Amino acid sequence: DIHIQYERVGADVTMKCGSMDWDAAVTWTANGTDIDESHLNGSYLLLKNVDLSQSGQYSCYEGSSWHLKYQTYLRVGTPPKEPVLMCRSNNYPKGFYCSWHLPTPTYIPNSFNISVIHGTKDMVCEKDAVPKNRCHIRYLQLFSTVKYKVTLTVTNPLGKNFTTLTFDEFAIVKPDPPESVVAKPVPNNPRRLEVSWQNPSSWPDPESFPLKFFLRYRPLILDQWQHVELSDGTSHTITDAYAGKEYIIQVAAKDNDIGTWSDWSVAVHATPWTEEPKHLTTEAQITETTSASTSSFMAPPTTKICDKGAVVGSGAMAVCWTAGLVVAAYSVLFI
Amino acid sequence: GDSWGIFTFLCAALCNLPALPALNCSEELGAGQSIQQTYDLTRYLEHQLRTLAGTYLNYLGPPFNEPDFNPPRLARAERVPSATVDLDLWRGLTDNARLAANYRAYSRLLCYLRVLDGQVGTAELRHRLAHFCASLQGLVLSIGGVMSSLGYPLPAGPAGPPAPPGAPAAPNDFLKKMDDFWLLKELQTWLWRSAKDFNRLKKKVPPAVVTLRLEARGF
Repeated sequence: DIHIQYERVGADVTMKCGSMDWDAAVTWTANGTDIDESHLNGSYLLLKNVDLSQSGQYSCYEGSSWHLKYQTYLRVGTPPKEPVLMCRSNNYPKGFYCSWHLPTPTYIPNSFNISVIHGTKDMVCEKDAVPKNRCHIRYLQLFSTVKYKVTLTVTNPLGKNFTTLTFDEFAIVKPDPPESVVAKPVPNNPRRLEVSWQNPSSWPDPESFPLKFFLRYRPLILDQWQHVELSDGTSHTITDAYAGKEYIIQVAAKDNDIGTWSDWSVAVHATPWTEEPKHLTTEAQITETTSASTSSFMAPPTTKICDKGAVVGSGAMAVCWTAGLVVAAYSVLFI
Repeated sequence: GDSWGIFTFLCAALCNLPALPALNCSEELGAGQSIQQTYDLTRYLEHQLRTLAGTYLNYLGPPFNEPDFNPPRLARAERVPSATVDLDLWRGLTDNARLAANYRAYSRLLCYLRVLDGQVGTAELRHRLAHFCASLQGLVLSIGGVMSSLGYPLPAGPAGPPAPPGAPAAPNDFLKKMDDFWLLKELQTWLWRSAKDFNRLKKKVPPAVVTLRLEARGF
C-alpha cells in the first residue's frame, strides 16, 4: 500500500508509524538512512519547517523485529501561484490557441483545466500533445461581437489557483514571423540588397486574409534601424545601403486589417555587391574578417573618401566611416 | 412604450429617403478600382469609429466605457444586423450575396445611427455623429456603385421598419444605453468584416472599364 504525502515548504510534519501505539519502540529511516532519535516524539516522526531536500521515502520499523510497519513518500512543495495564460490566433481565421505556465515551480505534480466560454456557449479547447501546456480551438463563427472568456485553473495536492482572459476575436490575431527570409546582393549595384521572404506557413489563407509586412535593416556597425512597411508582395529591394557594409535584416508580418505585428523573423545578414579590385590584394587586406555570407570580394570595403592608402583595421574603418558620415551630413545641409 | 413609437416613426421617416442622392453623373470606373476605394473607405470609417465610439461610450458612462465590459447579448439586440457568420458559409458567398449583405447591413446601421444623432446630448457628439453618418452614407453609395457596375441589382431600400412590429421598446435608460453599445459594437465588427469581404472581392473581380451612372431618384 503506497502512501504519498504532500506537505508545504516550511510546514511542520508529523508522521505516524501506521497503527503502532505512541509509546512503541520504532526506528525511522529517510531514504534508507536512520533518523536520529531527537526527531522522534514517541513513535511519531517530527519534521519541523520542512524544505525541499527532505522529500523522499520515509520508513518506520518496529524496534526489535525490524518489521517494516509503515512507509510513505514525502513530497515537499508549494500550492500553485496564479498561472500565466496567453491566447493567440496565428492561423486566423481557423481558430486560436492558448498556452500557459506557472511563474514559479511547485515541485509537486500539477493538473491544469481550461475552459472557454463564448457568450453562453461552452467550447472545447483541445489539448495539444506537444507542447503539453497548450490547447487549440477552432472558430465556428467569424466576425463575432461576443468576447471569448478563457479560464485556466491549476490544481495540486496543496491548493489551487486560476486566471482568466477575456478578449475579442480580432484582438488576439498575431501571425508567426515570415519564413525563409533571404537577402542577396544585386550584381553591379553597390547600394542594393534584394530581400525576399515567405508568408508564415501557419497562416492558412493569405488570399482572403492578406498579410502586410514590415522590414527593418541596418548596417551591423550602426544601432539605428531603418524601416519599410510593405502592403503587399513578399520581396523588397533596399536601394540605400551603404556600400560594402554588412547588413542585418529582419521582417515582421501582420494581418492587413486586424490584430498585431508578429515577432521579428530570424535575422539575415548580407553585404551589397562591391567591385572586385584590379590590383593584387595584400595579405593584410585578406586577413580582415568579413562575415558576409553571400558576396565574395577580396579587398576590404572602402568608401571613396578613404580610397587612398586605406589602412586595414576596424579603427581605420571607423574613421573612414565617420568621415563619410560627416560629408553626407554637410551635403544634406547644402541641398 | 411611447419612445418605441417615436423611434419607429423616426426611422421610417429617415429611412424612406432614397439611398442615392440627386446626382446625375456618369463616370467610368473599373469595378476593381471602385472595390479598392470601397475597401479604403471601410478602413477610414473603422478608424473614425474608434474615436467616435470612445467618445460615445464615455458619454454613456460606466460600465459601457470600461474595456472589460462584456454583457450578455439580449434578444432585443438581434434587430441590429450582425456581421457574425459561419466560416464556410462566409467563404462560399457569391460576389452578389457578399456585396448585398454589406449594402443591407450598412443601410440599416446608418439608419439607426441617424436616430441616435437626433437624441444625443452634447454638441460635440452630434457633430461627430453627423460626420460619421455622412462618411457611412458614402460607403453605402460606394457599395451600391460596385454592385451596379457589376450588374447586380441593389437590395430593396433600407428594409422598412428596422424591427418587427411589437418588439419591445427600451423600457429604461440602461437598456437604451445597452442598445447603443451593441449598435457601436456591431458597426465596428461589420467594418472589420467588410475589409475582409472587399479583400476577397478584390482578388476575384478583374479590373474592367465599366460605365457607372449614379441616377437621380428624386429627393
